Amino acid sequence: MATYILRRMVSTIAVMAMVGIFVFLLLRLSPGDPAAIIAGDTATPQMIANIREQLGLNDALPVQFVRWARDILGGDFGTSIFSGRPVLQLISQRLEPTLSLSVLTMVVSVTIGVTFGVFAAWRAGGLIDRLLSAFATIGFSVPVFVVGYFLVYLFAIKARWLPVQGYQAIDHGLAPWFVHLILPTVTLSVPYIAFIARITRASMLEVLSEDYMRTAAAKGASAYSMLFHHALKNAGVPILTVIGISFAYLIAGVVITETVFNIPGVGRLVVDAINNRDYPIIQAVLILCSGMYVLVNLTIDLAYTLIDPRIRY
Amino acid sequence: MKTGLAAGAAISIPSVLRAQKAQTAARTVRMVMSGDLRVFDPISTTATITFDHGLAIYDTLFAADSRNMPQPQMVGKWGVSDDKKTYTFELRDGLAWHDGTSVTAADCVASIRRWAQVNAGGQLIMSRAKDVSKKDDKTFMIALKEPLGLLINILADPGDPGLFVMREKDASRPPTEQVTANIGSGPFKFNHGLAKPGASFTYDRNEIYVPRKERPDALAGGKVVNVDRVIWDNIGDQQTAFAALQAGEIDFIESPPTDLYTAIESDPNLELEILNKSGNDMLIRMNCLQKPFDNVKARQAMLHLIDQEAFMRVIQPNPKYTRPLTSMFGNDTLYTNDENTGWYKKGGNPEKAKQLIKEAGYAGEKVVILDPTNAAWAHIPSQLLAATLRKIGINAELAPMDWGQLVTRRANKGPIEEGGWNIFISSYSDKNLGDPIGAALLLANGDRAWYGWPKNDEYETLRAKWADVETLEERKTLARAMQRVWWDFIGAVFLGQFVTPVARRKTLTGLMPTPGAALPMWNMQKG
Repeated sequence: MATYILRRMVSTIAVMAMVGIFVFLLLRLSPGDPAAIIAGDTATPQMIANIREQLGLNDALPVQFVRWARDILGGDFGTSIFSGRPVLQLISQRLEPTLSLSVLTMVVSVTIGVTFGVFAAWRAGGLIDRLLSAFATIGFSVPVFVVGYFLVYLFAIKARWLPVQGYQAIDHGLAPWFVHLILPTVTLSVPYIAFIARITRASMLEVLSEDYMRTAAAKGASAYSMLFHHALKNAGVPILTVIGISFAYLIAGVVITETVFNIPGVGRLVVDAINNRDYPIIQAVLILCSGMYVLVNLTIDLAYTLIDPRIRY
Repeated sequence: MKTGLAAGAAISIPSVLRAQKAQTAARTVRMVMSGDLRVFDPISTTATITFDHGLAIYDTLFAADSRNMPQPQMVGKWGVSDDKKTYTFELRDGLAWHDGTSVTAADCVASIRRWAQVNAGGQLIMSRAKDVSKKDDKTFMIALKEPLGLLINILADPGDPGLFVMREKDASRPPTEQVTANIGSGPFKFNHGLAKPGASFTYDRNEIYVPRKERPDALAGGKVVNVDRVIWDNIGDQQTAFAALQAGEIDFIESPPTDLYTAIESDPNLELEILNKSGNDMLIRMNCLQKPFDNVKARQAMLHLIDQEAFMRVIQPNPKYTRPLTSMFGNDTLYTNDENTGWYKKGGNPEKAKQLIKEAGYAGEKVVILDPTNAAWAHIPSQLLAATLRKIGINAELAPMDWGQLVTRRANKGPIEEGGWNIFISSYSDKNLGDPIGAALLLANGDRAWYGWPKNDEYETLRAKWADVETLEERKTLARAMQRVWWDFIGAVFLGQFVTPVARRKTLTGLMPTPGAALPMWNMQKG
């Protein structure tokens, strides 16, 4: 097990290095000039040229790459071309909102999605199952921003129960933090609940048709015990896989929700950075996201061994 | 423990919900500006949002009033020698930096020198200056080799970029090296502790600021601050910003989208108000170095082709906010005139355009329009322009890209095959067109001109006289002469002028109208 974890950690570093090289080249070879954006629309070409020189953008590509790679290895992700602040400081400012939204969304999605899926499988073809199918169809097909605007209209503008937008840091109090995250969490959870519920249902249906489930029923096991102690545990591996993938996608994919609810998270940071060609921020976020993606997958792989003792590495 | 936490949160929620309406505190104003503040140094960029940041935290030697006339601001007394070559300025009492130290003449001299490296008017001053130096702690002078009648106007010009006075140690940096200390002597202090780049910036009232006694008038007069704090919220989504305005979470949106005007007008708590009465002028810039627009007749064809009303409708559907534009000096400057504007025809003149493009020898070559798809204000008219060109047989092709790509590609002087371009759409502050020295758009000196690089020696000879003309009337005469030539060689083609009202809650009053896009935050009140 320890060897496996070590091997995966080493491969994570390799993946991050490859992502770094790819991102660096992609950004430098794609059109766009941060100096022109800094200077403003009515700036003269001379003003832009001076800024390019100041930022070191006129240096040869290999020179820029070596400088950047050397800094990264020293733990320095550079400073934002625009704000002049350290990139890691900017990312850490934005990490809390994104992680808060992602974790809350996963908690809500997994709790409701798995519960829905289990009951839909238990009553396959029945009312709950059909309701779930309808919900899944809607959840998949209605864009997140439509759900968001609808909830804002209903609960923030009409009822005035919840704030329209914004984020309150958790150190300003648990209640304001939570209140500001209710609508974004519900909005973002809808497609994930639908997704997890569908996978849970399919996986549970397969397990429920197994002989040992019939044996458990014959022995007088309660419905709760059958569903949650016997079936769910055996249906757990594919569900866990989907949850892992969903969480990884979620971290990289909260941009729309952060935009609709004006949450200053990593998603908005990177979109703004792309628009501004703020290279150091884009590079750092993508490298960190790739690292997080690999680590989440590693965690999921290790979790398999907990729910299925037959799995060994 | 977990149960207790959850219960605590649940119990506290109703009070939080009830307290929601009080989120915007009485003396805190929350504003959504039209851009995201990315550059903090107003000398390093021409971006309007940075200019507004500069207005808040820095002060200026002179300032333009509502008629765009220069008025003293930091300067208490000033005078000029009989030979009009030496200007002496004395700072008024009570000027202090946010850190409490006094503003000195040395700060002003360093600020002038830094600003003059990037501002066209400043470069003109320095080219004629014999000496810019301090006389004592409160007095400095500009000694010229020859008189410069426009000197005070240039010092007051809030143009590209404006002369914001910084501490000597900040102003000693080269203009390409950003000043990020954000310590000025203006009416607001930048709150570094609450700064969240990309999310929000906070400005606190500068308690030690001493405003002038005169009544406020655009950027001039007394800068009296009536609120404790102003927060700029960067809400990227317009619909969300509007919902937040309705709910009272914010007080102001600088550029609400046109499709929400009706909704804003129908809300009893909200109001649209035009602060920037001269607004922006939309224009087409053509590449004068490449076919077909290297031929003046092709450029003239564009002038006759454009139906300004049609373009304005796609930019601003409500005609009450738009006007046609025929003067190269804009619609609302001191130099607006009607010289050589006989080309203007309501609805355009496509037949004349067809004839001119034929005379230009156009042979069906591709005309590439740079189309910034992430900037609706330029993207939508670009599409209309392509359709309009195709109607008269021009092989127009849209090159979709984001704004970041556009600003890079437009610097390419080469032909289309080498990544060049033919047309892009831009906008210019109407007010700035009253300054043919500072406005990059109004240069026609070839390689040194703004993108498109028009060249006309006769026009440039006239433009060179601008700074030396003594009186307003003489400048107006010169403006007519310049315009006569401009509309013959066609430096740019206008699509019209539009103004954008701000949206505000009715509880926010006293916003200061200005002749340009600047948004001062003094004088406003909440309650």
